[in-house]
Amino acid sequence: MTLTDAKINTVYKISEVKGTALKRRLLDMGFTPDSRIKAMGLAPLGGTVLVNIRGILIALRKNATDSILVEEIK
Amino acid sequence: MNLTFALCGNPNVGKTSLFNRLTHSSQHVGNWHGVTVGKAEKRINFDGDQIDMIDLPGLYSLSVYSYEEGIARDEILASKSDLIISVCEASNLSRNLYLTLQLLELNIPVIVVVNMIDELDKRGFALDAKKLGERLHVPVLMTSAKYKFDTSELIRAGKQYLINYDNEKVKLPYLNKLPLRQIEEIIGDNIKDSGFDPRYACIKTLENDDFVIDKLNLSSEQKSRIKALGDNQALVAKCRYEYIDRVTDGVIVKNKKRRKSSDIVDGLDKIMLNKYLALPIFLLIMSGIFWVTFGFIGSFLTDCLENGINYLSEAVNDILLTAAFPEWSRALICNGILQGVGGVFAFLPQIMIMFFFLALLEDSGYISRVAFMTDGLFRKIGLSGRAVFTMIMGLGCSATAVMTARGLEDEMMRKKTVILTPFMSCSARLPVYTAIAAAFFTSGNVPLIFGLYILGATMVILLAAIMQKTPLKSGEASFVMEMPKYRFPTATRIIQILASNAKNFIVKVGTIVFAFNVIVWILGNFSLTSGYVMMGSGESIMERFGSFIAPVFAPLGFGNWKAVTALISGLVAKEVVISTIMSLGGMEIFPDPLAAISFMVYTLLYVPCIATLSAVRKEAGTKWMIFGLILQLSTAYMITLGVRAVILAFNGGVLLGISALTGIALILISIVYLTDLVFKKKKCICCSGECEGCK
Repeated sequence: MTLTDAKINTVYKISEVKGTALKRRLLDMGFTPDSRIKAMGLAPLGGTVLVNIRGILIALRKNATDSILVEEIK
Repeated sequence: MNLTFALCGNPNVGKTSLFNRLTHSSQHVGNWHGVTVGKAEKRINFDGDQIDMIDLPGLYSLSVYSYEEGIARDEILASKSDLIISVCEASNLSRNLYLTLQLLELNIPVIVVVNMIDELDKRGFALDAKKLGERLHVPVLMTSAKYKFDTSELIRAGKQYLINYDNEKVKLPYLNKLPLRQIEEIIGDNIKDSGFDPRYACIKTLENDDFVIDKLNLSSEQKSRIKALGDNQALVAKCRYEYIDRVTDGVIVKNKKRRKSSDIVDGLDKIMLNKYLALPIFLLIMSGIFWVTFGFIGSFLTDCLENGINYLSEAVNDILLTAAFPEWSRALICNGILQGVGGVFAFLPQIMIMFFFLALLEDSGYISRVAFMTDGLFRKIGLSGRAVFTMIMGLGCSATAVMTARGLEDEMMRKKTVILTPFMSCSARLPVYTAIAAAFFTSGNVPLIFGLYILGATMVILLAAIMQKTPLKSGEASFVMEMPKYRFPTATRIIQILASNAKNFIVKVGTIVFAFNVIVWILGNFSLTSGYVMMGSGESIMERFGSFIAPVFAPLGFGNWKAVTALISGLVAKEVVISTIMSLGGMEIFPDPLAAISFMVYTLLYVPCIATLSAVRKEAGTKWMIFGLILQLSTAYMITLGVRAVILAFNGGVLLGISALTGIALILISIVYLTDLVFKKKKCICCSGECEGCK
């Protein structure tokens, strides 16, 4: 699944960042495979998601969350 | 000895604060990502050495994504500095060290400064800087640049490190896991000509960094050989982060109880960013700011100053009368200077209140939350939530605000943000609203003034939305933005903000406004042929000139030479609008309250001052500046007509209202057509601009 479909307040593990123009930036910012990521909330006007990665809050638009593949941690 | 130290690090880690401490400067700081958009440099003397300190915009990685990050990267790669001070944020160590590693990969001397150590302390943790330094093989120092500290230790450590520097000692074991050898075999010869450090060139090629690959001038054969190695971007990032996790393991230790206050602050986002509460809270905060600035508190302070100036003006008038000064000099001093310049000066408290709140928005970290919560709206109109920084800074000063747009990733978006920002009502326009509102309505009429600010913001949104339907459409840009921690400015910082803004305002009023006010008064009271003439005789230079243009503004209700003069002189600085009105006889230039409202609306929307125009030109180019200028003039005219039409229609003048609205619609259509003409790219016959060649 992609981060776009992630449930709020649930911790996931990143499995892959797909090849888009944003890929390297996301990797540089710590969205590396196997890191834990938590979806914190949705913007009031929609389309933008707030996530917690490595203890930092980062807002991402849908085009970024679409390219981040995550899996649930059992 | 002459040395150069450059401060480098992620955005919002306190580089500029540290720079200000090291060099006793007062560069603009704020708690959001991308405050610094250019390089700053200052020379300091230290123990007989001269050290050039350089402050750079923040960047996440040497593979850059925005204009301002490029400035920092180019400066680092030019390697003019002897030492890089890699500034890190204590509570965000791993992501910050990611950049530090990239700097070390460049084979240049780097020391690490972990800033904001006080925040770690409040949360009950401590950093073992010695352990971290030993593992990284570079000196690690701790600071809290927000508070005063002894900077000599940092500079001394940097100098000491340079004396003993040996790049062999800095080991980066994770690099062995990367196929750098293979890359070097492929691109080895190209590196020599490019001037890059070989290791850096290899790593960046592996990371598929366009900037480096372009400079290497690779043949298609080389490119395909590199491609055959597979996509290694994720591998590089992962190796760096794994190494960071290893060196930071156990260096941050819990040493005492966490302060209760940090729980509260950390929990603030639950409410502030709540899906349903976020926007109402934002509106509440903004109304609160306007209520304090323009309501009872702000207008009381302005009234006090105004009374004082009137009293002074009368006293001076009496003195000059008894001393039998020539008539014209008494009129110049009392009506021209004291009423005009003094009239603007009276707004000092309100402008200071406004800047205080803007600084609070910036420093608290709330402004980034606003960007996040409004991003949905801004995405739809082809801008980004990041544009909110620029827009809100535009409430202070348009000229400085347009520069903050550099952080926007998309070029089209950045330029649009630049030309739309002047529609946000800057603090120099504030006196116009307050003075006119006080004269025609009630003093401190908050709803009316708040309405004007909202009108300005609405125009930004509306025009951006219209541009999305023209060739100025911006692409679907990415929006990756970090939320800073909530922070509170120190008392010293608040005093510093207030003092520097007060100083700027007083200097501006004392120089530009004063000089221009005298010029306008003389032009308004002297004739080329008969010398000093009484105003209103129709003979003065300005009267003749203004009356020539005035008919243009007749449909707007203020078609008289004094209002025209005020608007034209407002180009120098918007404060001059009110000083001109005051020195040319005050509020009687408006025949009725409707004309007064029209004038306020027109002042809000028409061309910004010259300083802003040149800033727009610098940021977006001449073509865009002219486009912005035409856009502003026509928008101002149309909207003012529209506002009049609506008010008139409500008061019974239906026919007039309808005809005005029709006129506006016609002008609007022609503007859309004109933009189409100017910015249209040539399209081929076979497609509507969708094919490969057209893009």
